[in-house]
Amino acid sequence: MPANRIAPLLDRESLGGAFVLLTFRHPETAREARPGQFVMVKAGVSAEPPLRRPFSILSVDAARDAFTLFVKTVGPGSRSLAAMAPGDAALCLGPLGRPFTAPPAGEEALLVAGGYGVAPFRFLGEELRRTGGRARLFYGGRTAADLPLLDRLGGLGLEVVPATEDGGVGVRGLVTAPLEAYLDAVPGRARLYACGPEPMMHAVARIAAARSLDAEVSLDPWMGCGIGTCLACVVRVQGEDEARWKYRCACTEGPVFDAARVVWPGEDDSRARRAGGAGAR
Amino acid sequence: MNLAVEVGGIRFKNPLVAASGTFGYGVEYEGVLDLSRLGGVVSKGLYMEPRDGAPPPRIVETPSGLLNAIGLQGVGIRAFVRDVLPRLRRHDTALLVNVCGDSVEEYAEVARVCDGAPGIAGLEVNISCPNVKKGGMAFGGDPRMTHEVVAGVRAVTRLPVIPKLSPNVGDIAVFARAAEEAGADALSCVNTLLGLAIDVETRRPRLGFGTGGLSGPAIRPVAVRMAWQAARAVRIPVIGIGGIASASDALEFLIAGCRAVQIGTANFVDPGIYERILADLQTYLERHGMDDVNAVVGTLEYPGLPRPCDERGPGGLA
Repeated sequence: MPANRIAPLLDRESLGGAFVLLTFRHPETAREARPGQFVMVKAGVSAEPPLRRPFSILSVDAARDAFTLFVKTVGPGSRSLAAMAPGDAALCLGPLGRPFTAPPAGEEALLVAGGYGVAPFRFLGEELRRTGGRARLFYGGRTAADLPLLDRLGGLGLEVVPATEDGGVGVRGLVTAPLEAYLDAVPGRARLYACGPEPMMHAVARIAAARSLDAEVSLDPWMGCGIGTCLACVVRVQGEDEARWKYRCACTEGPVFDAARVVWPGEDDSRARRAGGAGAR
Repeated sequence: MNLAVEVGGIRFKNPLVAASGTFGYGVEYEGVLDLSRLGGVVSKGLYMEPRDGAPPPRIVETPSGLLNAIGLQGVGIRAFVRDVLPRLRRHDTALLVNVCGDSVEEYAEVARVCDGAPGIAGLEVNISCPNVKKGGMAFGGDPRMTHEVVAGVRAVTRLPVIPKLSPNVGDIAVFARAAEEAGADALSCVNTLLGLAIDVETRRPRLGFGTGGLSGPAIRPVAVRMAWQAARAVRIPVIGIGGIASASDALEFLIAGCRAVQIGTANFVDPGIYERILADLQTYLERHGMDDVNAVVGTLEYPGLPRPCDERGPGGLA
């Protein structure tokens, strides 16, 4: 059950550039959160700015009743969060949303992150290590500066494959290139997880559908409440037995969705329908 | 200390009510909040049938405000009565249904379904949603249509009928009187202000619907002014709505003549805001030597005008 309460900032660590790690005390999130879930948070307790912001949970520390967020400053909400000092109060509602689904036993988990979209995958990687699953993270960005967590993903048992468009670190090109190369080279089932810019997630959804692999995507539309009351964060998703897509709240029915059931921008109908059920369970 | 108020035959245990469209159907907050601490809850707008709503993006943050075009996505009144109401009724708070329609007949039909459902304390008639092509503001932007819709709902229900008026009109007093004459028991003032936000890079509206409704602290002075004008124009009670995020904000509406208030956009920032506002409201009343929240209603000292409560008799009771 999510809890709505004041969450004091415990630690703040700048990662350079626009990135910062913020650790808040919020016992319910620390104890109950699952990988892929998120919190709604804002700096301070005033009515400004009018909306909290959703953030994927980077990691939890149950011993400290704490969770950590990976924040990129892009606008007023994230800027005021990044400006917090330890001891400052945030308003936090969490944990929220539908978490990732674990891969079936023996299937490798292939995590595909675009830049800032790496946020939920540290938590997922930890969970997979704990449960003995195999996992590999394809971590892409335009330049090395977009991958500030690259040297902090060690110790998770994750094989990390970086890719940058300028070739500054890892493979040169889009992150989907090493993903496809790996899928070509390594036989066996895999389950895909993607979080990042929409075109990247759409590309991963296409790759999964073409190979009849299951894939989950973590979507990130603008949210108002985080708990299904404002109906702002809807995405077009087609249910298993439905003739047509429906608007579904990313906050309560997501943010993690079956990639094959998402109707992506520019599509009229979901991949699941047009491909005759590829990716359907 | 008495915080209870009576509005058009509905008793609210305190004057703080969750505004339609900002609190879902209420049950979403089960386990997160103690719903019995709220004076009341107004449901998301409901038509006869389920509605898809507007294409996303559906919200955009603006200075001290929120522009939205949700487009009245909803489950329909029958599903609400069947699936949601039994759960919601377990909480000791006044439940109002926000009634929508594409036609006068549909408003009445939704009202009729509510009339037969146990646990509904009153009907808020939505004649002011700016985010639908038919109905909504079309009814709230023409006093004759306002009269027709309110009379149509009035005719089919014994429940208190509370039209929610639009601020997108020249003289709200005309609409307030039209609603009162049609048999309204109270008024909700006001809905969102029609707005437009433009993405200058794409040169397209930032909302999928195009225009949207502006809410939040940005609209509060406009809303206080219009609620005050409405309260002066009619003898039925007024519920003030618009950018309330503190006890002081709520008090502005009460002093202006509103008997209760609704909290909307602030629910998104902190759905626990009711506890803070209730505590601060009591502190204010104590500091001003009042032991009843009704005593502050309509006490505005406006230059050149009699106090609203003097016009209406002791306590401002209509």
